[in-house]
Amino acid sequence: MSLPNDDNMSPHAQLSSHFFADLLDSVIADVASECHRIARLGLDRNLDEEEEELRLSAQARARVADSSNSGETNSKYVVDIFGQTHPAVASEIFDCMNCGRSIMAGRFAPHLEKCMGKGRKARLKVTRSSTAAQNRHSRGSPSSTYSYSNSTSMNRLSNGAPGVTGEEYSNGSFEDL
Amino acid sequence: MSTRNPLYTNPKSCKHLEDYKLSHGLNGFNSLQKHIKTTPSGKSSVDQSQTKIPRCGFCDGHRERLYLCLICSSISCSSHTLLHSQSENGHDIAVDLERSELYCVVCCDQVYDPDFDRTVMLKHITDLPPNKSGVFADEEGGGAVRRSSKRRRLVSGLEFDSKKSKQLVVSMRDLRAKSCYPWGLRGLNNLGSTCFMNSVLQALIHAPPFRNYFLSDQHNHEVCKKRSSDRLCLPCDIDVIFSAAYSGDRTPYSPAQFLHRFALDCHVSVNLTGAGLLNGLYSWWQHSANLASYEQQDAHEFFISVLDGIHEKEGKARSLGIDNGDCRCIAHKVFSGLLRSDVTCMSCGFTSTTYDPCIDISLNLDTPNCSPTNLANKSVKPTENTGISTLLGCLDLFTKPEKLGSDQKLFCENCQERQESLKQMSIKRLPSVLCLHVKRFEHSPIKKMSRKIDRYLQFPFSLDMNPYLSSSVVRNRFGNRIFGFEGDDLDTSAEYEIFAVVTHSGMLDSGHYLTYLRLRNQWYKCDDAWINEVDERVVRASQCYMLFYVQKTLYYKVNEDLSCQPISSRKDPFVPFAGCC
Repeated sequence: MSLPNDDNMSPHAQLSSHFFADLLDSVIADVASECHRIARLGLDRNLDEEEEELRLSAQARARVADSSNSGETNSKYVVDIFGQTHPAVASEIFDCMNCGRSIMAGRFAPHLEKCMGKGRKARLKVTRSSTAAQNRHSRGSPSSTYSYSNSTSMNRLSNGAPGVTGEEYSNGSFEDL
Repeated sequence: MSTRNPLYTNPKSCKHLEDYKLSHGLNGFNSLQKHIKTTPSGKSSVDQSQTKIPRCGFCDGHRERLYLCLICSSISCSSHTLLHSQSENGHDIAVDLERSELYCVVCCDQVYDPDFDRTVMLKHITDLPPNKSGVFADEEGGGAVRRSSKRRRLVSGLEFDSKKSKQLVVSMRDLRAKSCYPWGLRGLNNLGSTCFMNSVLQALIHAPPFRNYFLSDQHNHEVCKKRSSDRLCLPCDIDVIFSAAYSGDRTPYSPAQFLHRFALDCHVSVNLTGAGLLNGLYSWWQHSANLASYEQQDAHEFFISVLDGIHEKEGKARSLGIDNGDCRCIAHKVFSGLLRSDVTCMSCGFTSTTYDPCIDISLNLDTPNCSPTNLANKSVKPTENTGISTLLGCLDLFTKPEKLGSDQKLFCENCQERQESLKQMSIKRLPSVLCLHVKRFEHSPIKKMSRKIDRYLQFPFSLDMNPYLSSSVVRNRFGNRIFGFEGDDLDTSAEYEIFAVVTHSGMLDSGHYLTYLRLRNQWYKCDDAWINEVDERVVRASQCYMLFYVQKTLYYKVNEDLSCQPISSRKDPFVPFAGCC
């Protein structure tokens, strides 16, 4: 390790740079030791495969960007793989199972909502999600993670800073048995 | 392909270590044990004297890395260890004071020994505050922990299902021989902004164990009707969808009956003016006070609701009295995993461990260029130069130890006061089908606005989940010692293959979902009624929202089942398939 140039520094500066150098050495040796153990015990991740996936993704994005630049439109298809073509709004007609009227498929959902009663709302349900465990003890988490009312967006979403962990959650919904 | 053992490859010890052990057995290790100093964060060092700084016997130096001879306990710095072994015959093995690692002076290399590691780990165990639910609860066979035998049962249950469905596949194969397209591939009509539903249904239709269950008629309409007088049954309608998808009819199917049932069962509003990507809860909460509602439907919300609906029906039909994690309903059998959360007191090391079942994992996007916490696990990654977010990066973030802020000190039972704590998540048990949900929304409480994060996320087609298992994470916390942690599970593979990608394009509250399916190594784009072949590049470059992975063993089995005979050159005049092969 190359020592700092002692001549130009005050004794204090020299001392602190020596301390720093020692600490740095120690940290480097620690990391090397950890990596060595991981490699010897076969615990290291398969970096070749990971890099291959990354490479394929990068390639894919480049190609897709190229083709969109060159004007190929891949969004509109003339036929699907079975040789069929479909209208913008699904035209199949069937009977509504609630009121019995004949409805066109593409308009079924809006019809169903009116048909089943206006403004039907989601019932508040107890939720259990992958984030229940994360919620526990996290910054700004509600005391109970098991009810909708506590888990409002205001409490549970991140403050928008990237890299902040553990704070924003979609709900899962499973009833507590 | 790597066949890495999730445990360890038995490290080859050098001749000198072997000789040492022959002569001295475990004496050196045992007498060293009392001098091992452990920290609450899992590190261990050797501390012989509380009062004196260790110094090299030759040069009196104390700043370099120091090694303690296992035989005579003399200390040498790295420059002089060789001198010591030359002057004293056979004194070849030393221990690094800083890290409690064995070092062979003659080989000039760190060496590893299971007995030594065991000694170190036993010291950790005795030093940690006693705790039933703590880190080593599994070792003690502690209470709340799932036993691997139960999970083995679940796995074999699924395999049995697929055997049954194999027979079904064979008998149907004759009819399908005309079509060279994968079985079960069929478009779904959009019933009015229902692409959120169609996209998830496509993934479910092609999730191997889930598919096998329904195709092998394990949810039987007749039995179901007899058992429950009410006609509401979500699984029955899902069964109908499966029958329709695998019927051989390639015209788009309208899942109207299912939508109706879903709206009834899951009590959600059906009016959808857009395909929303919100935190669905946010919109529901917002709109519940507002009667003139329109709601953004989120595919992930739908996914959770559907599985919940199945669980409600099936969970009741099957035996009661089982805790959630062991539920035998098909939704849980296929998708349910177990998450482990460890909260460690930073001053005494007392760890409180809890387990929660989950049916998916929601991941925050990692930041490109953020430095990995554990550098030991990575070499220089290309991402650090190119700056993209990766799925592995998100998983690393998920399992990264998180220091809870000083405003969030938790009460430590051992210290009997509030202390700063460290929290770490890991996966105790992986499901057969792993659904990973990418949280692509940010909410600003100040601006009261949500926005979508469009940033590209790289994801692999083959995913190794080993580094995120509780066994790996806990082992890493204690220095990756050779020790039987966590009842390491050998019989379940943690390797997965992707089979479905749900993507979202557009804005936060309006946009479009579609699903890419991988069947027999060909990718298909399922855009409501439209099914088209796409190159895998398109999929890799897409903006993923939900990723569906299946255990590798199940994936390869599926691909065998679905292989069909190639179509003959003479087309059958009665079968109107155009553009086939």
